[in-house]
Amino acid sequence: MEALIAFVLLVGGSFLAGRWVGGSGWPWVPDWFAARPWLLPVAVGVLTTPFLLAEPFVRYAVHRWELSGDVVYARTGFLTREWVFVPVSRIQTVDKAQGWLERALGLATLEIRTASHAGSSTIKGLDYAVAAGLAERLANRAEQLRDDAT
Amino acid sequence: MGPPPGGPAPGGPTPGGPAPVGRESVTPLRLSPKVLLIDPVRMLPSLLLPLVGVLFVGGFSGRSYLWAALGLVGTVAFAVVRWATLTYEVLGDRLEIRRSLVSRSVRTIPLERIRGVDVSTPPLHRVLGLAVLKIDTGASGGDEEGRLDGVTLGEAERLKAVLLRRARPADGGGVPVPAAGPLAGEAPAARPSGRTIIEVPRMWLLYGPLSGAYLLTPFALAGGAVGLAFQWGGDFGFGRDAAWTAGEWLWHHPYLLLGVAVLLVLAMPFAGGAMYAVFNWDFRLMERDGYLVAERGLVNRRSVSLESRRVRGYEIVEGFAERWAGVVRVWAIVTGLGDSSTRGQLLPDVPRPVAFQVTADAIGPYRAGLRPHPPIARNRRLFRAIFPWAALTVLAVLGEAVTGSPLWWFLAVPALLLAILGVPLGIDRYRSLGHGYDGVRLAVRSGSLRRSQAVVERRAVVGWRVRQTWFQRRAGVFTLIAGVGAGKGGYEAVDVSRAQVVGLPVEVTPDWVTPFLPGAGSEGRSSAVARPEESSVGTGSEGSSVRAGSEERPSAVARPEARPPVGAGDAPGGGDGEGRSRASDDRRAAGGGAPTS
Repeated sequence: MEALIAFVLLVGGSFLAGRWVGGSGWPWVPDWFAARPWLLPVAVGVLTTPFLLAEPFVRYAVHRWELSGDVVYARTGFLTREWVFVPVSRIQTVDKAQGWLERALGLATLEIRTASHAGSSTIKGLDYAVAAGLAERLANRAEQLRDDAT
Repeated sequence: MGPPPGGPAPGGPTPGGPAPVGRESVTPLRLSPKVLLIDPVRMLPSLLLPLVGVLFVGGFSGRSYLWAALGLVGTVAFAVVRWATLTYEVLGDRLEIRRSLVSRSVRTIPLERIRGVDVSTPPLHRVLGLAVLKIDTGASGGDEEGRLDGVTLGEAERLKAVLLRRARPADGGGVPVPAAGPLAGEAPAARPSGRTIIEVPRMWLLYGPLSGAYLLTPFALAGGAVGLAFQWGGDFGFGRDAAWTAGEWLWHHPYLLLGVAVLLVLAMPFAGGAMYAVFNWDFRLMERDGYLVAERGLVNRRSVSLESRRVRGYEIVEGFAERWAGVVRVWAIVTGLGDSSTRGQLLPDVPRPVAFQVTADAIGPYRAGLRPHPPIARNRRLFRAIFPWAALTVLAVLGEAVTGSPLWWFLAVPALLLAILGVPLGIDRYRSLGHGYDGVRLAVRSGSLRRSQAVVERRAVVGWRVRQTWFQRRAGVFTLIAGVGAGKGGYEAVDVSRAQVVGLPVEVTPDWVTPFLPGAGSEGRSSAVARPEESSVGTGSEGSSVRAGSEERPSAVARPEARPPVGAGDAPGGGDGEGRSRASDDRRAAGGGAPTS
């Protein structure tokens, strides 16, 4: 869904850019392009459509999270992949948040923060109940295990 | 006597202590009245502009002088009121700073939260024997920190001693207990207090220009001078026209301009060196009562206290010229230190062996060597150093061929030179890469033009993050980031091999990572690459596909006891029964991504 928005933005942006370049009458713009300013958005659209279609599936396949042995593990990524390990004892806050889109779909985002941005992780697209339960359990567990956390 | 809870504990070792301690807790203290001399002077610049405006509007009439005088009186009165309404006191185990100018505010700082006290003396303060005391509490945002502007030097020292002494016993009980077990080698509190670790000889100030800091000072000064000239010129009546004619005259004498530019460039190292010397004059690093105290500065003498307990490591930085001269700079990695680039400096430019000795002495040594990264990393470094410039060269040559304009050569030749320079640069950047772990501290190093080696204690690591871009995936390397709740927040080991990306976390924090070994090692990866089709089939019905995903996870999970080779391990469990049921629970919703509706 987010990918779709990005896609629309990208195509729209390139459409505007194409119009602008085509209408500017700059000498270096080739004639065939100036005559058909819609080429650029179409090209961008054609190039990005496969990514658009693939991204949700790839993300869905890649994204994982797991809590075991007091360590939270999350995997995210589409083109760039990330694995994050956060021990519960170092967690400082656990936030769950729902955007409007997520509310419509009954999902939630869990944010796990530590003292370091590199040790913080975000788990997107959990079922709301799961996210709430996990947040609560993490918070409780972090309370029990809490050491200095920095 | 004032504070029953706070007083006796720190006063115990020094029987004479409680008396003054008690007294100061009773009466609220004010800043030194001498600050009244400073405040109006400091406000003058901000007053100047409105005053000038008034003068312009009203002309040089009696009225405008009246306004000006009113402004001055207002400033002084404001300063007096502010001085009169700001009080501070040490109450039991906290410091309270009260302000009741318009709105009343009380800032309470628990002494045990104080992480450092920073005493600095700007020139004007120095003349009057005053100091600015900044109390670092690790709170985010500079506004949250305590600041006492204008206490006498003696009072600053006394207050610092009180604040830091009170702060210490609170953690003396708390910290060694968890820390001593695994990290017995490094209890910083066990050292004799109040000794000087290093006094940097003035000779070493000559290394200053190499640091590259303050090199732009001449330009800034020149720019400032021109701006000032404009402003004052405006004030004195020979308005804009004169300035324009001067500018035009300069434009007609380009050699003069060129000369000025060359002069500025030539002045860079000297001015940079001078600034460096002014800022780092008589640098002294001391250890006192569990604090690292760094003093420096010629005009604005500044003393920064860092709580040793909060120091998590250090970062050794060497620029290109500095490497050539064999000198390094050192910063401390401290938790909750705001403005750490200026405050955290442990050493200015000193020869490398000295730096290692000092850091080993002050914080702790790093004993192991650094492991090199796989050769693929070298190729990647080379590619990155060369490719953009090579591409630019090719483009420029193409452009020349197409348009025939010789202007392209001006682009092509420098790009080619840079591309050629990229070869040694890339190789050097590869040779700089390294990581290691000596049982207590881990180290990562990277960079060539600015090579920095971070050494961080094991206990400071709050999490691991492994990143792999698409290109890195093609090359089979990873970026491993150790999340540290101090300093920059994360320290990266770039382009490590698959074995290393698992190896280092396992070495440093075996109990966190081993449960996930196969998942983080290779199984997860290969399956991730292989799985898209299969799971895209199941995406339609969310529940079932989630199930499918979750069936797969357990196979990737093994318990630490097993420390399994890749892909081994069956059911989770084996550890604690509770953990097992929990774990299987969790996995129900494994998977995320945006379900396309």
